[in-house]
Amino acid sequence: MTPGRHAAPYLVGGAFLASLVAAWEIAGRSADSALAAVLPPPSQFLSVLLDSGFRIGLGSQAVPLAQSILSTLLRVFGGMAIAFVAAVATGALLSLSRFATWCFSPLLYILAPIAPIAWIPTAIVVFGISNVTAVFIVFMGVYFILTIATLAEIRRIPEEYLTVAANLGARPGERWLRVVLPAILPGVFTLLRTNFIAAWMAVLVAEMVGLRDGLGAIIMMGRNLFNSDLIMLGMAVIGIAGFLVDRLLMLIGTRLIWWRV
Amino acid sequence: MSAPLATAPAAPAPVPAPPIFKVDRLTVAFPERGGTEVAPIVDFDLVVEAGRITCLLGPSGCGKTTLLKALGGFVVGRDTGGVVYRGRYLTEPTPDIVMIFQEHNLFPWLSVRGNVGFGLRHSPGEPAARRARLERMLGTVGLAEAAGRYPHQLSGGMRQRAAIARALVTEPKVLLLDEPFSALDVTLRRRMHALLRAVWTETRTTMVMVTHSVEEAIVVGHRVVVLGGRPASVLLDVPTEGAAYRDRYDPAFLELQKRIESLIE
Ligand SMILES: Nc1ncnc2c1ncn2[C@@H]1O[C@H](COP(=O)(O)OP(=O)(O)O)[C@@H](O)[C@H]1O
Ligand SMILES: [Mg+2]
Repeated sequence: MTPGRHAAPYLVGGAFLASLVAAWEIAGRSADSALAAVLPPPSQFLSVLLDSGFRIGLGSQAVPLAQSILSTLLRVFGGMAIAFVAAVATGALLSLSRFATWCFSPLLYILAPIAPIAWIPTAIVVFGISNVTAVFIVFMGVYFILTIATLAEIRRIPEEYLTVAANLGARPGERWLRVVLPAILPGVFTLLRTNFIAAWMAVLVAEMVGLRDGLGAIIMMGRNLFNSDLIMLGMAVIGIAGFLVDRLLMLIGTRLIWWRV
Repeated sequence: MSAPLATAPAAPAPVPAPPIFKVDRLTVAFPERGGTEVAPIVDFDLVVEAGRITCLLGPSGCGKTTLLKALGGFVVGRDTGGVVYRGRYLTEPTPDIVMIFQEHNLFPWLSVRGNVGFGLRHSPGEPAARRARLERMLGTVGLAEAAGRYPHQLSGGMRQRAAIARALVTEPKVLLLDEPFSALDVTLRRRMHALLRAVWTETRTTMVMVTHSVEEAIVVGHRVVVLGGRPASVLLDVPTEGAAYRDRYDPAFLELQKRIESLIE
């Protein structure tokens, strides 16, 4: 367990990424490159950012980049957090009643495959073009999957855990809180992390349909202005932010909810 | 471990212990695919005395776990009979009788202290007294140092000791153990036998232990019950009190071991 070996994956991954970016930069710099028009190299789209003082947009409508990133993150985390809590609660309620499971589980399996993007028109009619719409789209993107996962995790709990808890005097409510919840958390959280990509895409699409800020709005603005630098910038920020969030979720998974049942 | 016991004075006069369990025409059947049933236990009778260690031996699949679960009220048989515990038919588990299962015993998300203390809030006594009992029990099973560790960081022996401590810290009347040491190597097993005897000496808890090791049954138990056949019946029921049965090289020990082994073949 030398520190060198520990760092090796990061070093190799980082070096490979850096050389790709360098190759892109060199290819894009050469004067008559067709590439530069579609895939402007980093030096080109990053300078857009510096020139505009980290604000993006036209005139008084311009929004700081940081605000866009923050809005997108808040929307995606808001939707995911609400979906996570709601899914665990729904799963728990359904697991308490077989009748409720019979009623609702077909509904879950019918709603789950509907892509979150498909909800956008409906959401706009109901909530208007607002933060609620974006949060709702994220919610719809992960809630059903997580509820199904919660039900599966509850079925997977070794019977002995519940028997032991009851045997040691724990009442049903206490068993739920002290055994069922901790037993299902790691599995459901892992699925939340896997579905983060879906949530991330959902929020970007929601932002493209007219919200004033957010990373999706940057892409849309670039498209409307035929500004490929702006599009490239938006894509780069989206990629990096998504990567960082995924790492954060992984950290929560390995540090906070580390146990395996 | 065995030497001092050989020279010890005879155990206190064997006053017949009062029964704590009376298994009365117990029948347990499980439904199977295709509408048929498996009935490992049919019209089974057995009396278990209070304050002693009874060991159940028998070939795998003969219904030992099922019988043990019935003693704990985890499995309730047909209502043509059942398990009478202190004068009443058992219909559900009770905190009086705590069972240690073959696997999935410890909660992986709780430390050793958290696991051992799990049932403490439902056990008698003031909070301070209960906490003191928890610390004492951790010491008894030799886990005081490891109290902050999590199950995946423990050896098999430590895990079983934690499970035993968790069951005993609530001061149950009966402890049921289902092949608790089968995953451990011989050396560790023998240490666990000594520990279990020491814990018994201190608490005098009624224990019923299922095992498939003949040596273990004789060394640990005050009485060995050998089960066999389908449905299960008692093939042999011998007292194993007395110093001879604490020493696995004693001729009486070896003789009994041989007799039981030929029965189980
Ligand atoms: N929950 C159950 N459902 C169906 N069959 C069971 C169940 N538990 C035990 N059995 C059957 O009952 C018989 C006895 O099982 P068990 O008591 O576990 O035996 P042992 O502990 O002696 O190995 C076996 O044939 C087993 O397949
Ligand atoms: Mg068994």
